[in-house]
Amino acid sequence: MERKILHVDANSAYLSWEAVYRLQHGAETDLRTIPSVVGGDEKSRRGIVLAKSIPAKKYNIKTGEALWSARGKCPNLVVLPPSYPLYMSCSDAMVRLLKRYSPNVERYSVDECFVDLTGYSQKKTAEEIAWEIKERCRTELGFTVNVGLSTNKLLAKMASELEKPDKMHTLYRHEIPEKFWPLPVRELFLSGPRTLPKLYKLNIFTIGQLAHASPDLLQHHLKSHGLTIWKYANGLDDSPVVPGDRVIKGIGNSTTSPFNVDNEKEALLYLLSLTETAAMRLRSKGMLARVVTVSLRDTQLSFYSHQCRLISPTDSTLLLYRQAKGLFKEMWRKEPLRHLGVHFSNLVENKFFQTSFFDDTVVFRQQAIDKTIDEIRGSYGNDAVVRGLFPHSGIPPLCGGVYEAFPTMRSLL
Amino acid sequence: MRVLMQSVDMICCTNRDGVITPIKFRISDEKEENRIVKIDRILNRKEEKLAGNRMLVFTVQSVIRGRECRFEMKYEFSTCKWFLYKI
Repeated sequence: MERKILHVDANSAYLSWEAVYRLQHGAETDLRTIPSVVGGDEKSRRGIVLAKSIPAKKYNIKTGEALWSARGKCPNLVVLPPSYPLYMSCSDAMVRLLKRYSPNVERYSVDECFVDLTGYSQKKTAEEIAWEIKERCRTELGFTVNVGLSTNKLLAKMASELEKPDKMHTLYRHEIPEKFWPLPVRELFLSGPRTLPKLYKLNIFTIGQLAHASPDLLQHHLKSHGLTIWKYANGLDDSPVVPGDRVIKGIGNSTTSPFNVDNEKEALLYLLSLTETAAMRLRSKGMLARVVTVSLRDTQLSFYSHQCRLISPTDSTLLLYRQAKGLFKEMWRKEPLRHLGVHFSNLVENKFFQTSFFDDTVVFRQQAIDKTIDEIRGSYGNDAVVRGLFPHSGIPPLCGGVYEAFPTMRSLL
Repeated sequence: MRVLMQSVDMICCTNRDGVITPIKFRISDEKEENRIVKIDRILNRKEEKLAGNRMLVFTVQSVIRGRECRFEMKYEFSTCKWFLYKI
């Protein structure tokens, strides 16, 4: 039986959620009808555009752009601070609505879901359900969504991006030559800034040209990624809809510092503070990490990172911090930094794991300390116990970790 | 009707089926003077969940300064607050 997959994508999610919430609380103007953006805090140098309204788009304001540059393009731009708990509750409401149609709902990111409708409804066709979901999101939840309907996840996702906002599109196999292939190749999922120049060199500018290119040629120039995007251009994808929230592949935490970090002491304090938060999250998920990555961004915004593999997986703040510290010392070029990040990946469950002969004897003592600290923080708040290094350092003892239960973007279907 | 969205002190009744009925509320006006309004009739009640935030919206009728007025009140579940929404 052919699958029926829906992709539901909230239109300019953060902004429209903010707009609906404000309208519900008596705001007079609908933010979606004026040039407005949701942006980070400029004082702490997180001032970038996170989401924009459609009128703001007309001023050529782009997501990820600095707020001062956006204000330059549109002087009467309305800038709102983000409120992540609200976005999570909107996302939850959307998932609840979708679950009324099928139990197979995969939350792909905070504003996108896949729904597997294969064989679930006998009364209505998939097209009717897709239309109904779009209408119900608008009338019940107050924000508009784009719904894409097709036979696999990739085509459903591409369909929902055909024309925005508040639209329902189908992209079945027989519609590919007409609807999908004429699009520029940059619209294809996973053809990003690294891939595009290579494709342009091969004279590939549309998705159709990519689909008709020789897979061997693509593999030669782009390695395995070439084959993946060739398959995508031909609408081939057999990834399943995994109900629930996606299995976590890694836990990370990063922060932009309010001042330039130019000495090792402060940088290490930041790393410790980031590790502290991320390791707490790791433990609360019952996971151990095997790979530690440290990433840095300097004042010129150039980004670099370094990672290492641990001999045995761990969730201990101290051991993870030791690795991060080592990585940082190896890579830092002594220039002032504005952004630091720590990421733990290659996760395993902490039920059974291979210990090593070389394991520190402090491991088990550390586990007990971490557990106790987590419990105290759980009961009395995160600032109940902090490390003695932090007071008067100007650096928060638990850094980063805005409400980010779900990533905003993903690269795996 | 004009949107006001002012929070008010409310006396309401919740019956054994969980149905909430507003009875009377106190609102302070521009001069910081308290005014008590008794709700005479509930004309309509509906639930909205815009942006995933559940609220009850009541269209009600009362006599204010000797004149019969129709207005809307909102109850927000997440904060347990009552608002005079539109008048």
